Amino acid sequence: MKIWTSEHVFNHPWETVTKAAMQKYPNPMNPSVFGVDVLDRNVDQQGRLHSKRLLSTEWGLPSLVRSIIGNARTCTYIQEHSVVDPKEKTFELQSTNITFTNMVSVDERLIYRPHPEDPEKTMLTQEAIISVKGVSLSSYLEGLMASTISTNAGKGREAMEWVIRRLNTEIEEFAITARGTIRTPMAAAVAEK
Amino acid sequence: NSVGEGCTDLKREYDQCFNRWFAEKFLKGDRSGDPCTEFFKKYQTCVQKAIKEKDIPIEGLEFMGPSKEKADS
Repeated sequence: MKIWTSEHVFNHPWETVTKAAMQKYPNPMNPSVFGVDVLDRNVDQQGRLHSKRLLSTEWGLPSLVRSIIGNARTCTYIQEHSVVDPKEKTFELQSTNITFTNMVSVDERLIYRPHPEDPEKTMLTQEAIISVKGVSLSSYLEGLMASTISTNAGKGREAMEWVIRRLNTEIEEFAITARGTIRTPMAAAVAEK
Repeated sequence: NSVGEGCTDLKREYDQCFNRWFAEKFLKGDRSGDPCTEFFKKYQTCVQKAIKEKDIPIEGLEFMGPSKEKADS
C-alpha cells in the first residue's frame, strides 16, 4: 500500500476555486477523463451540498491493443462523492475506482479550503491511497502509480487554473455584452427627446 | 460529456442550470430551492439507462428506481 499526499495554494478565493472544481472536466490537461455524470445530488439539513458523480476515463491504449481487448474494457470508472459546505467554506471530494477493483484500488481525497493566512487564497490538500493486489512487485507498481498520480495532480492544478481563466473570460464577455445592451436603449431614449 | 452518448445534450442543459444556481445562489448562502430538478430528472432517466446497459458497477444505485418499491413492501 502506498500513500501519497500533497498541498497546493491557488491564488484565488475559495468560491472561485470551488466553482472551477465543479466544472473541472473536460479540460485539455486531463484528456483521459472523457465523461462526467451526476448520479445524485441533494442539500442536507446543515445546508451542505452532496454530489455523487461518475467519472469515465480512457487510458489511451494503442488502438491495436484496444482492438484485441475491445473498447469497453479499457474504460475505467471512478465514483466520486463530494460535499460543499458554504458556511465553513470547505469542498471535500472522495473518489475510488469501481472497475478493475480486483487488481488495484486508488482512493483519493481532496479538500479545498480558504488559506488560513490569506482569505484571498485557497489551499488544496490531496491524498491518494494506492493498493495493487495479488501481484508481485506490487510495491514497485504502487510507487509507479504514485508518481503518475503526482504528475496528474500537477496537471490537475494546471487544469484548475485553465477553468478559472475560462470562467473569468466568460464573466468579462457577459459584462461587455450587458453594457452594450444598456447603452443602446438609453441612446434611443435621448434621441427621441 | 456523458457516459451515455445520447445523454450529453440533457447533461449540458442540467449542468448550465446547476452551475448558475451553484455560483449565484448556493455559494452566496441563498437557501432557496434547487430550480434544476426537472432538467435533472430528464437527464437521470437517460444516464441510468446507459449505466445499466454498460453494466457499470455503481454502489448505492439500488436506492433509486423500481427496487425502491421492493424495499418498501
